[in-house]
Amino acid sequence: MEDDDFDRLLKTCRIKLEPGERKRIKDETTQIIAYFDTIRDADCDNCLPSYQPIDVPARTRPDKVEGFYDTGKLLGNSKIYRFYIVGPKI
Amino acid sequence: MIGGIEEFVDKEKPEGYYERLIAELEKVNSKLHIFSSINRQISSGIPFSVKDNICVSGVESTASSAVLEGYVPPFDATPVERLKSNGFGFVGKTKMDEFGFGTFGINCKDHPRNPFGDSYVTGGSSAGAAAAVSVMKYHIAVAESTGGSISCPAAFCGVVGFTPTYGLVSRYGLIDYANSLDKIGIIGRSSRDVRYAFDIIKGSDSYDTTCVDHQINGENRKKLIIIDQLMANVDQDILSSFDKFISKMQNLGYSVEHRSLPLIDKALAAYYIISMAEASTNLAKYTGFKYGIRVNDFSKGYNEFFTEARRNFGPEAKRRIILGTFVRSASVKSRYYEKAMRFRHMLIDALNSIIKDGFLISPTMPIKAPAIKEAEELSPLKSYSMDSITVPPNLAGLPHVSFPYDYINGFPVGVQLVTSHFNDYALLDFVQGWEEEFNYRFNYDVGAI
Amino acid sequence: MKIGLEVHVALPTKSKLFCSCSSGAEEPNTAICPTCLGFPGSRPMLNEEALKRSVTIAKAVHCKVNEKTHFIRKVYFYPDLPKSYQITQLEGAIGHCGYVDIERKRIRIRRVQIEEDPARIIHADDYSLLDFNRSGVALNEIVTEPDIESEAELREFMSELRSILFYAGVDIDKEMKVDLNISVGAEKVEIKNITGIKNLVDAERFEEKRQEELIASNKRVATETRSYSEETMSTVPSREKETDEEYGFIYEPDLAVYPTNGIIPYATVIASELAKQYSGKRKETIKTIKELVMFDREALKLIQYGAGQSNIETVINAIEVLKRRGKIRMPEKGFGKMLDLLDKGIVLDDDAIAALNDGEDVEAEKHGVSTEEIDREILNVLSQRPDLVKEYKTNKKVFNSIVGIVIKKYKVSPKHVAERLALVLGE
Repeated sequence: MEDDDFDRLLKTCRIKLEPGERKRIKDETTQIIAYFDTIRDADCDNCLPSYQPIDVPARTRPDKVEGFYDTGKLLGNSKIYRFYIVGPKI
Repeated sequence: MIGGIEEFVDKEKPEGYYERLIAELEKVNSKLHIFSSINRQISSGIPFSVKDNICVSGVESTASSAVLEGYVPPFDATPVERLKSNGFGFVGKTKMDEFGFGTFGINCKDHPRNPFGDSYVTGGSSAGAAAAVSVMKYHIAVAESTGGSISCPAAFCGVVGFTPTYGLVSRYGLIDYANSLDKIGIIGRSSRDVRYAFDIIKGSDSYDTTCVDHQINGENRKKLIIIDQLMANVDQDILSSFDKFISKMQNLGYSVEHRSLPLIDKALAAYYIISMAEASTNLAKYTGFKYGIRVNDFSKGYNEFFTEARRNFGPEAKRRIILGTFVRSASVKSRYYEKAMRFRHMLIDALNSIIKDGFLISPTMPIKAPAIKEAEELSPLKSYSMDSITVPPNLAGLPHVSFPYDYINGFPVGVQLVTSHFNDYALLDFVQGWEEEFNYRFNYDVGAI
Repeated sequence: MKIGLEVHVALPTKSKLFCSCSSGAEEPNTAICPTCLGFPGSRPMLNEEALKRSVTIAKAVHCKVNEKTHFIRKVYFYPDLPKSYQITQLEGAIGHCGYVDIERKRIRIRRVQIEEDPARIIHADDYSLLDFNRSGVALNEIVTEPDIESEAELREFMSELRSILFYAGVDIDKEMKVDLNISVGAEKVEIKNITGIKNLVDAERFEEKRQEELIASNKRVATETRSYSEETMSTVPSREKETDEEYGFIYEPDLAVYPTNGIIPYATVIASELAKQYSGKRKETIKTIKELVMFDREALKLIQYGAGQSNIETVINAIEVLKRRGKIRMPEKGFGKMLDLLDKGIVLDDDAIAALNDGEDVEAEKHGVSTEEIDREILNVLSQRPDLVKEYKTNKKVFNSIVGIVIKKYKVSPKHVAERLALVLGE
């Protein structure tokens, strides 16, 4: 993988690597991708992709409103300002 | 012989039993680092532990990741809730490879040690779960497998690790690794213990679309199938002890058939592609402000803020996020992600036709539990290759069980038995038959009465 | 110029797309749960009503409905997106290859799909504030082909689409979000997230002019994403957005593949078709009918019922009378009787309409006024006030004064009187 491509990938997934870590992980990544390439000659292009390994019945939910028992508990993990969850600047 | 948790239910518990249990457990834990937290409030019920990637209401649940430090879910995972309301008592959360990313249980802080030798790995990723079973006399562990995370540590810790058919147990409350592969299962000291807990946690759930209410069969098959490709990289000492086991089985009336399935060699690559692709989307949500570790400087732009939070992933998590993001990128997706999804379909068909009248059998792992130092030195790719036997049934969603069949130099080795979708009980019946022939050994009996 | 749109509307469901939280909560962060906050361990479960409503919309815009539909994950990072991926659709969406006809033209619909709404985000200087009530609300996206070629067509398409959506049960007064793809020359510019039709048209106008000017002065139009500002009524380049390469779509492994063949769409679509048939037959009332059908479901019910009873002009006149008097919720029997009386040339007063509305019978002699009587009264007024007739020849406004005098005697509709008067005066 080219340096530019690797950096773009890091940016896409919002991962920052220290310089030493970057080289090691980039090398390992390249190696692993080469291993992934072994799947190329698998003769499976006529098979449909398997979304799950079993047939999952198409269950749906009736359109009924049921509130969560304690919404306050959900907010306990974040910083709150006047009932709003505080997030980073946009 | 009825032992295990059924015996525990019937037995009179002495005064102060649970306090003593906790005290003993804390002592063992300081040596083996099995639990991330121990529930000192437990005062009744059959003790059950929960892998740290499964939510327990009011208890920090981090999947052994620094990114999730401080996350206290306000709800129970469905299997946890079902056990709590059926006579079980929550005893603690067990350590694991961060988010399930690992084969040896060493990808986390203060990782667990093997009860058969504390300089050896427990196996992963349900590392603490299997070790906890190995040290506690009356207890089951709720664990989870994506590519072998129940079988592997069960084999290294000498316990019974059962991974049900994909979809039989609700994943509501499971911190996702790869949703189309993740299966919650049970680790116990015997097939009876496992069955007891499995019967409580299985069955559909209105909070998990992929969880099914399928009839579970116990169709015993008298044929054992060995796929040659799976035996290719197995260590010599394991091979010879496995051969002895097979002879015993033949004496017990099982026929043995060798089959060749060349495409199974590609299962490992397909597994890692799908699991990393899904993992990289699951881990995108960890951005440092709604739960888990918090970045406090909100005035940073959101991109910088998120990147800052995501520095807390361990190296293996970072690697999988990067690789997973790559294999699903639009320009290469058809070569990797989609190809692997098609391959999975082909593998399921191939395996189904091979095992329709028999059990697939093999050693669980190609090696014995390695020393921690040895495991740490393996390259990521070499580590991944250790999953070559556990991956195929996991990729195909087939039920499988690992159980101890021998001890080599004092360390247990496991055999893995695989059957068709929804024939889960046949595995437990098989193990129960084996347990009449074989005595499991344990180095600890915490909580014995 | 080529314009393609991605129109997002909220589906009319009580609960959210993948969880049971209310879709319509007011106080911030009160309709939230682990699922719509994207908590680790939570999972989606599809709302059946969202599926049914979206199939209704897809059929209403003449899409082929996919036999099986499934969802995907679209990954991007923004604070309003709780899981950092949106559950949406692409191939295997609800519908594809449809169209909406506007005057003299067909606008092709590429896709109709379901997706989840992100949270509401409020921009502050040093942070942002998030209200997750909106997170996970069921949205329907309608993607057109780039077939719209002028501002007039844009307006017409949106008006037609609104009418269709209305009949599919969508609350068209709720804000509608549109992504506008517009290219005057070869380069495509995407303007994201425009709220409401007025802003859409303003953005289109601005962007068309901006691109034209660049081209006229031999400058390059950059292929980019822009956003529209209501205050300045202009578009500006927006934050760097992920492309398809980065979105890295994968199948949503927590959901199933859903068959659509068992889903019976809501009948309102058929009603809308009926209304359009009438409007096609009777050019001069297109506007009237459109106004009726666009904004009143009750009216449409009566049109359907009345169509077999009387001629369409009478039916529409009757509906207008009812609408004006706030009596549009008329039982069918009463409406039938009303048409009957109208056909006999009888104009009904308020009491008569109220009686019909209550299911009572109405005697024409008591409450109604026949057309002959009105004509007689008109002639009466005209003969008594020759001054008005004289003044009318130079000042047409006097017409309304005459109508006013006539309706003092009878409580009948001024419009009806005006029509009769026009006839009498030979207009």
